[in-house]
Amino acid sequence: MRSFSYSSPGQIGDASDAARESGAQIIAGGTTMVDLMKIGVIAPDALVDINGLSDLEGYAVAGDRMRFGALAKMSTVADDPAVIDAFPALSESLWKAASPQLRNVATLGGNILQRTRCPYFRDTAYAQCNKRNPGSGCAALEGGETNLHAILGGSSACVAMYPGDFAQALIAFDAEVVVSGAGGERTIPFSQLHVQPGDSPEVETVLEPGEIVTEIVLPVVPAMANSTYLKARDRESYAFASASAAVGVAMDGDTVSDVRIALGGVASVPWRATDAEDSLRGQPLTEETAREAGRIAFETAEELEGSAYKIALGADVVAGALMQVKSRMGGE
Amino acid sequence: MAQTINTRVTRTDARRKVTGAATYAADEIPAGMLHGALACSSIAVGTVTSINTSVAEAEPGVVAVYTHETLPDYKTVKGFYAGGPGSASFWPMEGTEIRYAGQPVAYVVAETAAAARRGADLVEVSYEEGESRIHMTPDDSFVVGAGEDSDGMILDQGDLQAGLDSAAQSVDMTFTTPFQHHNPMEMFAATAEWRGDRLTVWMPSQSVRTLRAGIAGAYGLPETSVRVISSFVGGAFGSKAGITPYTMLTIAAAKGVGAPVRLIVTRPQMYTVATFRPESEQKFRLGADAEGRLTAFEHIETAQTSQFDMVVNAGTHITRAMYACPNIRTEQRLSRSDTNTGGFMRAPNEMQTFWGLESAMDELAWKLEMDPVELRRVNDAREHPTEGVPFSSRSLMESYDAVAQSFGWADRGREVGSMTDGDWLVGYGCATATYPTNILASNARVRMQASGNAYIALAAHDVGTGTYTIMAQVAAARLGVPVEAVDVVMGEASFPVAPISGGSTTAASAGSAVHDGCMKIAQQVATRVSAMSEGPLSGVDPAQVTLDDGTLRGPNGQSQSLAEALSMLPEGEVEVIGEFRHPALTNELVAATFKGGYGTAGPVTPDFAMFAFGAEMAEVHIHRYTHEIRVPRLHGAFAAGTWLNRKTAHSQLLGGMVWGIGSALHEVTETDSARSRFLNANIAEYLIPVNADIREVRVEMLEEQDDYVNPLGVKGIGELGIVGTAAAIGNAVYHATGTRLTSLPIRMSDLVST
Repeated sequence: MRSFSYSSPGQIGDASDAARESGAQIIAGGTTMVDLMKIGVIAPDALVDINGLSDLEGYAVAGDRMRFGALAKMSTVADDPAVIDAFPALSESLWKAASPQLRNVATLGGNILQRTRCPYFRDTAYAQCNKRNPGSGCAALEGGETNLHAILGGSSACVAMYPGDFAQALIAFDAEVVVSGAGGERTIPFSQLHVQPGDSPEVETVLEPGEIVTEIVLPVVPAMANSTYLKARDRESYAFASASAAVGVAMDGDTVSDVRIALGGVASVPWRATDAEDSLRGQPLTEETAREAGRIAFETAEELEGSAYKIALGADVVAGALMQVKSRMGGE
Repeated sequence: MAQTINTRVTRTDARRKVTGAATYAADEIPAGMLHGALACSSIAVGTVTSINTSVAEAEPGVVAVYTHETLPDYKTVKGFYAGGPGSASFWPMEGTEIRYAGQPVAYVVAETAAAARRGADLVEVSYEEGESRIHMTPDDSFVVGAGEDSDGMILDQGDLQAGLDSAAQSVDMTFTTPFQHHNPMEMFAATAEWRGDRLTVWMPSQSVRTLRAGIAGAYGLPETSVRVISSFVGGAFGSKAGITPYTMLTIAAAKGVGAPVRLIVTRPQMYTVATFRPESEQKFRLGADAEGRLTAFEHIETAQTSQFDMVVNAGTHITRAMYACPNIRTEQRLSRSDTNTGGFMRAPNEMQTFWGLESAMDELAWKLEMDPVELRRVNDAREHPTEGVPFSSRSLMESYDAVAQSFGWADRGREVGSMTDGDWLVGYGCATATYPTNILASNARVRMQASGNAYIALAAHDVGTGTYTIMAQVAAARLGVPVEAVDVVMGEASFPVAPISGGSTTAASAGSAVHDGCMKIAQQVATRVSAMSEGPLSGVDPAQVTLDDGTLRGPNGQSQSLAEALSMLPEGEVEVIGEFRHPALTNELVAATFKGGYGTAGPVTPDFAMFAFGAEMAEVHIHRYTHEIRVPRLHGAFAAGTWLNRKTAHSQLLGGMVWGIGSALHEVTETDSARSRFLNANIAEYLIPVNADIREVRVEMLEEQDDYVNPLGVKGIGELGIVGTAAAIGNAVYHATGTRLTSLPIRMSDLVST
């Protein structure tokens, strides 16, 4: 780890100013950042610690909009009975992530900006990584292993997978993020926060230098209460998703009036499966329609050698999540 | 006296360990100590064309940056598989050649560990890269020692083809196992301090005497000038057995800078600077008559090895001991690829091979429409199938019967896919466990005082298994004192000779030396008190005095406690060297152990075949949507002679079974075939079971008497628990799904319909 300067501003404006300096890096829980510094993937000159901005720790789920401060801890929100009751998929996406130790320090704002676990991005012995070292190539696509990679939203420059869970609950339910920077405050639809790799995988979000995520806002809809986050992984806990799905359903009699489906573990960015949602709306929710929605969700997936199994697995997970919601709603 | 053997005794060092008072190697901080760090190669094969150290040298705190050109007085030793004490035959930083990814290319010494690692990051190395291949290719493999067949690398008994031709059912299956790494909790570390020509090395080791002999030999020093200390070891599992480059580099660097240097190897570097479990292929052809009796047994094992060593962990020598069969053929092959040299990892000959054998046996049982337990029963061997000697004891079927009872084997659905639990498919599977009983020479210093205190010293190691405790128990039981009254010191090369802590040998061999020491004390004391004019044993024939739980007994009922007898001696104490020399240990084997090597007799001696046995049964659940594989129940029953400590033995077996779950479902060192690197060199991405993966694991410990293996009747158990677990789980997956998986680990990706 390289030497760096450290500041802990008490005001968001000061924090934003400090973070705008070249070589500066915002740090909150630090669970990704410190890791990446230790393995030499990032080497900031200055760390701007925003943990002192205690205004950003609060959250509220009552009313017609849920609001989550960017510095709320993953474990605090995941364990809140009001969250569990009103929006189970959100709680589940948080507690199925990482380990209890990590969730106790990791923040919601930091979590949505979690970096990829692509082994080539994380091992600096590889010169080739377009994300870490723009223009150097992609070791994964150049004969490497692709079993942890994106089958949706990748490019010929990068197939790194977005590893987060929480983001899927957010994108499925039309979240927005409030950010604060030099130009003041602005609101970004969560679906537009992350950027697909395209030709410049080093650009991961639309955030400007110095912009700090302050709040995550969600409009409350009935499907939230009938939601779940199903995560398939090779061990019971502390593992990234091989495939996951955040889903929520609202029924009008026997047919689906609203449905939300987002996919984790399979895409370069948080991923909403709108075609799959369209296939279900107005239909009854059955094993057959659920499986069809799963199939449609992966219709545009790339056949990436090491991750080919994720097409079938992801479809099964979508179907399983929908059937789990159905059974929670008291279906057969 | 309370019973001290075959009972549950809490570790004597438990409090020291949980309070941090136990000192591990890296806890020793000699005055003026500096810190080392390794810079390792980014390519797998090629040549170093230049190294620029100037940036690293300019980094604040950096004291020295050594390369192959500048490291002074760097010595190496011969590799283990070439008959030496080293982990590999090829040594880095002797020249420009790169033969594996992550090979050390520079050694940085600095005032702090952080500065040393920063310095290592700043070393700029240029390479000319060559072609490399990380995976073995069975098509390009060879038989070790072919032609001479001196070590039984090919064995052909009976007529295999005739056995296959006459079989009512047969299987022909190929299984594979991946690279795996030990990942002990305690990092690799070495601290070296020179004082003139005297050297002290602290490092976690499974063999302090191997280390000392190797280091002293390399530097041309008398062994008395080299101290090697390894008081506690935080897990080894085979990874801390040989002398690895990081130790010799640290010794040279300490000499170079003229100050003690400590190196703590980073977790990613631990994947490349030492050994690992080589990948392997296991081919089985089995045939059986209609009643299930084996008519043909063929096992061909091909294991990966480096370009510069031949790692022979002869699994076929174990599999062919399992089942009675007239026609047996085995073959032990190797295939080279561009890695560091692999080595031993918990059950090095057995984990991979029993995954194959016991899966193949299960497949055969399905084909025969036979209960797989009954298939083992009809083939249970009373004598070693290829060596023609009886087993000294063999409780395989007793183990199966006990575990079947505890597990509820009879309740299983008889058809594939016949059991479910909600959204989960359910399957049951079973497999055989075994581990050879290896025997090594050992000494132990034993001293007993009239106060009732006893002291034991030997160059054995506690690699986390409870050795301190069981050595105290053996002495306590013989000397008739409480376990707490026995002070045990170990882990220093200057102590009396004890075996390498490998091959599950310490409890049996070192424990037998402690036992012998206690008997010698009794004989010496009896001789002296019988010659006295007064006292209960005055005038008895000392040769007829026996030691019974701390009491000396004469032939006519005379008796005196050992402590009382000792109080009659002017010294008030007696000290002896206990010795264990099993009759099967030849002079050559004893000599090998005393030179710091591994002189094992067994598992087959001219009189007996010696193995511990067990059986494991697994219940597996597979989710119908996520295809996740979970193991809610794993039961094992084992028989391994005398249980010294039912608590630590239970922990050993349980820990082995937990590791077995990991081997079955989680563990794999991922590889980049294009550039021959290990990809998941950290314990976030190298999956091992977490607590949530371990539900019910039950261990049944059966009673077994074996008077041949050693005076204590003890067989090694450190590795027994892992053997068979993977196959039991794989067989349960088959029962649940009808899918026969042949490659470890079994992952949900294998069960998704594509």
